[in-house]
Amino acid sequence: MQHRIDINKYGPRGQTMAEAIQSCVHCGFCLAACPTYKVLGEEMDSPRGRIYLMKEVLEEKLSIEEAQPYLDRCLGCIGCVPTCPSGVRYDELIVSYRAFSEPQRRRSLTDSMARRMIAETLPYPSRFRKAVASGKVGKLFKGAMPEKMGAMLGLIPTDLPVDKPLPPFYPAKGKRRAKVALLSGCVQTVLDPDINWATLRVLSENGVEIVIPQAQGCCGSIMMHIGEEERAKKLARQNLQAFRPNEVDAIITNAAGCGSGMKEYGLLFKGLPEESEAEQFAHKVQDITVFLDKLGFKPPAALPEPLTVAYQDACHLLHAQGIRNPPRNLLASIPNLTLLEVGDGGLCCGSAGTYNIEQPEIAHQLGQRKVQHILNTGAQAVVSGNIGCLTQIQTHLTERGISLPLFHTVKLLDWAYRQTN
Amino acid sequence: MNDQPFFSALQKIYPKDRLLTQGVQLLAYESDALTSFQAKPTAVVIPETQEEAIETVRLCHQFGVPFVARGSGTSLSGGSLPIKDGIVIALNRLNHIKKLDPDQRIAVVEPGVVNLHISQAADRYNLYYAPDPSSQPVCTIGGNVAFNSGGAHCLKYGMTSNHILGLKVVLADGEVVEFGSESLEGVGVGPDLIGLFVGSEGLFGIALEITVRLLPKPELYRTVLAAYNDLETAGNAVAMVVASGLLPGAMEIMDRLAIKAAESGVDAGYPENAAALLIVELEGEAEQVETEFEEIMEVIKESGAYEVRVAKDAEQRLQIWKGRKGAFSSVGRLSPDYIVQDGVVPRSHLGKALAEIDRLSQEYGLDVANVFHAGDGNLHPLILFNGREPGALEHAEELAGKILKMCVDLGGSITGEHGVGMEKRRYMPAMFSEVDLETMKAIRRQIDPKEISNRGKMFPGGEAPALKMTGMHPLEAQGIISRE
Amino acid sequence: MSLQPTTLEELQEMITANRSLLPVGGGTKPALSAASNGATRLDMSRLSGLIEYEPGEYTFTAYAGTPVRDIVAALAEHGQYLPFDPPLVERGATLGGVVAANTAGSGRYRYGGVRDFIIGVRFVDGRSQLVRGGGKVVKNAAGFDLPKFMVGSAGRFGAFVDLSFKVFPEPRAYVTLKAVFPGLGPALGAISSLFTAPNEMDVLDLEPLADGRFSLIARLGGLSSALPGRIERLQSFLYAKTEAVSHEVIQAEADAALWQQVNAFAWAGDGLCLVKVPISPKRIPLLENVVHGLAPRRRYTAGGNIAWLAVSDIDSLDAVLNTVNLPGVVLFGPPGRPFIGPRPGVSLARRVKQALDPSGKFLEI
Repeated sequence: MQHRIDINKYGPRGQTMAEAIQSCVHCGFCLAACPTYKVLGEEMDSPRGRIYLMKEVLEEKLSIEEAQPYLDRCLGCIGCVPTCPSGVRYDELIVSYRAFSEPQRRRSLTDSMARRMIAETLPYPSRFRKAVASGKVGKLFKGAMPEKMGAMLGLIPTDLPVDKPLPPFYPAKGKRRAKVALLSGCVQTVLDPDINWATLRVLSENGVEIVIPQAQGCCGSIMMHIGEEERAKKLARQNLQAFRPNEVDAIITNAAGCGSGMKEYGLLFKGLPEESEAEQFAHKVQDITVFLDKLGFKPPAALPEPLTVAYQDACHLLHAQGIRNPPRNLLASIPNLTLLEVGDGGLCCGSAGTYNIEQPEIAHQLGQRKVQHILNTGAQAVVSGNIGCLTQIQTHLTERGISLPLFHTVKLLDWAYRQTN
Repeated sequence: MNDQPFFSALQKIYPKDRLLTQGVQLLAYESDALTSFQAKPTAVVIPETQEEAIETVRLCHQFGVPFVARGSGTSLSGGSLPIKDGIVIALNRLNHIKKLDPDQRIAVVEPGVVNLHISQAADRYNLYYAPDPSSQPVCTIGGNVAFNSGGAHCLKYGMTSNHILGLKVVLADGEVVEFGSESLEGVGVGPDLIGLFVGSEGLFGIALEITVRLLPKPELYRTVLAAYNDLETAGNAVAMVVASGLLPGAMEIMDRLAIKAAESGVDAGYPENAAALLIVELEGEAEQVETEFEEIMEVIKESGAYEVRVAKDAEQRLQIWKGRKGAFSSVGRLSPDYIVQDGVVPRSHLGKALAEIDRLSQEYGLDVANVFHAGDGNLHPLILFNGREPGALEHAEELAGKILKMCVDLGGSITGEHGVGMEKRRYMPAMFSEVDLETMKAIRRQIDPKEISNRGKMFPGGEAPALKMTGMHPLEAQGIISRE
Repeated sequence: MSLQPTTLEELQEMITANRSLLPVGGGTKPALSAASNGATRLDMSRLSGLIEYEPGEYTFTAYAGTPVRDIVAALAEHGQYLPFDPPLVERGATLGGVVAANTAGSGRYRYGGVRDFIIGVRFVDGRSQLVRGGGKVVKNAAGFDLPKFMVGSAGRFGAFVDLSFKVFPEPRAYVTLKAVFPGLGPALGAISSLFTAPNEMDVLDLEPLADGRFSLIARLGGLSSALPGRIERLQSFLYAKTEAVSHEVIQAEADAALWQQVNAFAWAGDGLCLVKVPISPKRIPLLENVVHGLAPRRRYTAGGNIAWLAVSDIDSLDAVLNTVNLPGVVLFGPPGRPFIGPRPGVSLARRVKQALDPSGKFLEI
């Protein structure tokens, strides 16, 4: 698509945005993959429509404010990227666009407060834990934006699990096959610390030695996602210093969003002195399932009882990182486990980082659709590689009064080992 | 014009969130899949019932406001381009499959239903909806009906029109007419009104309910991919297959540039260094297909292919088709702008046509990628250009015009399946006489006296909806065509 | 009165000079071709002959008055055929007549009817203008699809000059399987099972037998070496999945003779009117109920999608068709009123008539 964007106005990301827009031919193949288009059926709420609106803003023919409602509705699920035959990097475009537009837009006081709260709380486990424990999260949202409170509270459990700090080092069981570093994450460690522990045990079971850099922090993905670029850079810099990519075979993450975010460190620091260091870091990042699948996963012994499992693709695994088969391979290797496919599996569940908070209505519709598809499989349990998806599915199952066990992929693997060991 | 009474009437039908009038909303509807044309409508309405759509058309007729019915906006000929000072009727929420009857192999659907969704719904009965435009996962059946869409698998069972049995339409003046039936025979008695309506490019009105026929899913596919060192040999291979008396379900060719695009787009894993790829697919009852397959492999072996692959399973078959179906859009990776043409030549002239395209490509210094339905002689030359260079679009258009002229000269057509729309209306006089065109217009005026339904499309010299392209067309300049 | 143009110009002059015209070909469908009420026959038989046939192209163009017999022969030389299986070929049906009457035989089941193979038409309309629609290539989306519109138009919109068609390679061999069912229900049940089965058939006819039983007649075409296996498979399917009580396999000359007879409507007998009624299989029981007294001979083709009724009294059938809301067209019978039963969409057809024949040179639609 032809554009008249003056790329010099937009810093190092100008080129990235212009290239993405130029490679779009407006063919509409993305419509089928877009969750908001599926729900709303309007051109402005499709990837193609959003690209067009971003183009108009960057060409200075449309104001940021006018376009914003439709860009805010984008989940950032990146479902459109793999479907795009022209190879439009919508992922890079939307992140760059948000980084450009965020500082310039006028937000209401309540909106700004909520965003600040998110930015200053979520990435910091200790603050987040305190905020939840003291009920402050609920209160803050109750005061700040009552209409969105329901969605937020739906996400936050009333009792948090006990904090179990991770050791700096975890040994391999048997002969050492590899050495990795683990990103321990932020929100997930508070909501479900067991995922990290399961990760350590499963890696160890497969002969992998793990270091857990103690100076690490939040990877910054959420901040990138919502256009808080400077905060994202600050968090990323901390990790660039804490990890030593050259000394390990991989930097392992067990959260879909963190994986895809860290793979974009290069883009985040584009044109800055850290760019090449960030690129090196990004190259080492691997999702736990990809790493194990490549390494040669050691399957557990047969489960005592047959189990049917529906695997729910997290957008930031499937679309953002193209990870489809590795988690399925690992699960399918467990004897007595039957893997079931979820209908319209590539469609986002509506969790998408902070989307639940920002666009509760669409998030709700998507959540209900997803749960329906999962129930249609008749599976006995649901597995996903992202805590956001699990929380969203849990919320919508509860809403229907249905209880179904949910597992993070790595927790199911860990459980399978323990069933049979 | 004072639009106020018209808008007040619309407001009585539509709540605010289904009557879009803000600039930013309208902007998103400015183009379909042919972005060289843009026109901003005055409003977009989103009916949720057939009655709302009918009421809207009646208002448009009453107030003389032009309208464009729009599905997913995937037209490559600008067929769903809005009309300046007109409205868009977005049919995406009229998307119910109202009936699916496996005993009679039919489905009754609303226009906003996505083509592929019909096949998905019919899958559990082992049935499918055959016409498969490349945009099948997104394009709507209403648009398919308006433009008589084709696809790679139309060789054996025909295009959209051959699969429509019944229609309920609202004509441009508000009359609702139903014709056809649930019978395979369709209209069957009296003139074939379905034939008339399908492919009329929205100039008569809007299809509200469409009865389609379904086919049993072929028991077996045999998909062969053959690589050639030059395009002509691949073209001759098609002639050989045709002459063999076998009837493949699809026969497609891609040239070097198209292969390159498809590879970069979807990583199809096609043979390296091929100057041309031929895809031949047999489909049908297993025993028949296996026997045909033996014969066709003989033909392909004789045809000079340097590498022949046969899809071993459904996944490999899809992989082969993925590259082909994404080929147009993939060209976006090679060039910021391109024009897709859709001319048809008699099949025996394929080689001649391709050689001429090659010659023209060199003469104009523009790359042309070829992806086409070889089995029915339907070419899709993609002319690559950079619209930022002054005059580049006009230069490319001129080349496109020459290619279409060649198709007509060889006894073919200016469009096989994309329709005339905005883009090719200038070439209609190359194919039809003044009397032919005047007759078609006379029919149109009987059905749409105010010419409000998709105004400005198909006919040359029609009222142009705010165009980016201006000036005399190259063919006009050469005196080959005229607009009067 | 009868006129017989020998050139396009003569045709145009005759249309200018006359009114209430009825173009006629071989006259094999008298209810459509015999002139009544002061109508003037426009005998098209002198505008005859194959204009263009390029076997490698699988298309041909011929004058409207060309006997289909000649076309069938020319195609057969190259192993090609008209897949819609035009009937009354031996009796002298012309190409124009086949299009105007929209007659397709049992073989239309597999690939479609006349509308699915016509690709171009030139006709002289009521304004004496020569109009072309469509083209000569197998795929064409330019302009309104007038060739398809003309299928079934019964000479009400103009007189065809020439017509272009696409054709297919003819199956190299055929076999027919005739299975008997104890009643209509089981026979329709078999059709619906076959509808979603992978077996491919060129013909699927349903024939009421005198004793209240029904036979289902399937014809398979294809490569000779694959046919025995396919027919065996169809037999086992019928025995396993349907209530077929007996069956016979008909091959070679017997097969050809059978279908030639069906094609000539020999089964309808002499002295009865013949009416075509498009129907869907689920409505056959309803139709059987109301017509079996009226129509002593009946046949359903295209998997129960077309009813052919041989009746003695058109008026009674008209009334019955109106009650069951099924339109019909009379092929054999008294001239003057070919369309019986309801007329869905006729208001749209009349609008087109207004454009093409504003002064009523041709008969009313």
